[in-house]
Amino acid sequence: MTKEEVQGATEEEQQAQSKKAQKKQQKEAEKAAKKAEKQAKLAAEQQTTEEDDFAKDQYGVSPMVQSQQKLDRALVRVQDLTPERADQLIWLRARVHTSRAKGKQCFLVLRQQQFNVQALVAVGDRASKQMVKFAANITKESIVDVEAAVRKVEQKIESCTQQDVELHVERIFVISQAEPRLPLQLDDAVRPDGEGEEEGRATVNQDTKLDNRVIDLRTTTSQAIFRLQSGVCQLFRDTLTNKGFVEIQTPKIISAASEGGANVFTVSYFKTSAYLAQSPQLYKQMCICADFDKVFCVGPVFRAEDSNTHRHLTEFVGLDIEMAFNYHYHEVIDSITETMVQIFKGLRDNFQTEIQTVNKQFPSEPFKFLEPTLRLEYTEAVAMLHEAGVEMGDEEDLSTPNEKLLGRLVKEKYDTDFYVLDKYPLAVRPFYTMPDPNNPKYSNSYDMFMRGEEILSGAQRVHDAQLLTERAMHHQIDLEKIKAYVDSFRYGAPPHGGGGIGLERVCMLYLGLHNVRQTSMFPRDPKRLTP
Amino acid sequence: MALRELSSLEKYLGLKKPNKYSTQGEKKVPVLQNSNGPPLVGLVTIACYLVKDAKRSELLGDSAESRAVVQQWLEYRVTRLNNLTKDDVKTILKELNLYLQDKAYLAENQFTLADILMYYGIQPLIVDLAIQEKEQYVNLTRWFDHMQHYPGVRRHLPPVVVLRNRIYTSRHH
Repeated sequence: MTKEEVQGATEEEQQAQSKKAQKKQQKEAEKAAKKAEKQAKLAAEQQTTEEDDFAKDQYGVSPMVQSQQKLDRALVRVQDLTPERADQLIWLRARVHTSRAKGKQCFLVLRQQQFNVQALVAVGDRASKQMVKFAANITKESIVDVEAAVRKVEQKIESCTQQDVELHVERIFVISQAEPRLPLQLDDAVRPDGEGEEEGRATVNQDTKLDNRVIDLRTTTSQAIFRLQSGVCQLFRDTLTNKGFVEIQTPKIISAASEGGANVFTVSYFKTSAYLAQSPQLYKQMCICADFDKVFCVGPVFRAEDSNTHRHLTEFVGLDIEMAFNYHYHEVIDSITETMVQIFKGLRDNFQTEIQTVNKQFPSEPFKFLEPTLRLEYTEAVAMLHEAGVEMGDEEDLSTPNEKLLGRLVKEKYDTDFYVLDKYPLAVRPFYTMPDPNNPKYSNSYDMFMRGEEILSGAQRVHDAQLLTERAMHHQIDLEKIKAYVDSFRYGAPPHGGGGIGLERVCMLYLGLHNVRQTSMFPRDPKRLTP
Repeated sequence: MALRELSSLEKYLGLKKPNKYSTQGEKKVPVLQNSNGPPLVGLVTIACYLVKDAKRSELLGDSAESRAVVQQWLEYRVTRLNNLTKDDVKTILKELNLYLQDKAYLAENQFTLADILMYYGIQPLIVDLAIQEKEQYVNLTRWFDHMQHYPGVRRHLPPVVVLRNRIYTSRHH
């Protein structure tokens, strides 16, 4: 082949190629033109929408609150939204519980703790189409600031706590945006067991609730439970303070197990090891020996029992009482039962809303008690059980099923959910329990029960160092380890007694709930360390 | 088991001379060797014979209807109350509880052999019930308590406690 020929061939090729390229270019140009046109159109549209949106300053996502300014703005609480406020313009901060858009309107349910109110964003003089669209797209559980007019409604809004008014929204700003997907739906979490079944609606199981505790705690039921729990603590403190008790704080890291070494957590403590307190037992007794006369203590208590039951936790809040008495330990029982009755009365009188809120999801009968509190002796209880066909020895400890059965029998006979069982067999109680002077097989000890489950264990304590040493030896306890405790009784110790209550159990049984995890904010059990 | 039932029944009927029984087969079916005839085989057959022998045939029902009902429950007793699984027990307790809702005895208002044999047969199931369950099958336990206190019936069986008052009234606990 000559050079020319080659050139000719390539020219031809080039020509063919350029033709193709031309076509390509043309096409691309067309495309670009179209694109430009589209963009222009879009931009124009956007411009027009922006121009159209007269309300664009009345909604949006607020910049993060970093304390830039002190706004002179009073926020009204949802529970205060009553017909008295009708036609006022108010500001409100709440969560978006649900939102439902319907044409030119968007209905929101705004929630604040256990209260909620209906709000309406409607296209009109105050709100634009875009604003309604924005409101409808706010994710559930986001926190919003709303300015709205309070309006009376003709028909009660059954689904809200504020049934007589609704809010006509004029401005709405998102303060904190929630992620669109929630790990559980609040409405599912408060649905009573079995209720949603016909409609195929979901309920949330306990573990899912606990795994997402922060969201679960927002439910009306949880809000009510923990407000009531706070009430129990407050009533406990108030009652005892009025009776002349002193609140004390005791260490939780201790050198020796207080009640049997088996169920105690060991922690490493520098070059040696220590234990987590199973109860403030020894310390509250030492305070009695130190002339504090009547003491109480509210704080964490640890049990390393590997039991996965509805009523055991590995860490719970103990309400402990210890007091010196004059001649008979029944003075202590009376003092404790009076305190419990004050708590029950306080809850009944001041926490009706909370009790009813919990009842909606977990129905139970109202808690019943007598004044003065019923006190049964252990032998009477065993006789009642024998009569009901239960076979058990006179000095045998009560099994859980028998405890519950006894609770039913007592309820049937005396119509009370709260009673004291006195004079337990000595053999089933800790070493520091005072033996009964009339029958050495029994002891001056007692348990208290709510709805057939134990909430308090207590006794008159041995305040004599000699007897205490004997009892400890009988229980094969290493005297060296409890030396400091025994020594406290050598320099004059008043007769005294007391008891310890589990806060979570009291709340659970008062409300008739089935699981102590429901009344523990962040429960700890052998299988749960988080959240 | 069946032999003790039959000797208790004899005593209830007031038969003076106790009969001699043997058993046959793996299931230990009771056999009564009669002096003047062929051997009688099976719990119900022998029981009916004893009733006739004691001249207490009213215990088999005194009308055509009640005789039929008595036979039906005797059959139920020997066919249903054997080799029970947990589910069977529940079904039987439920069935009887429902049936006895408006009756004092299995054959309505008349005490019959069906009550005696059913009491002997159901006793082992009732013994194992918790108080709450006894309350759940309240009609059955009412009838049962009546039977164990019926003059002369209980014999070889220990009494079972049945509470007269309901103690599980609420929905919870």
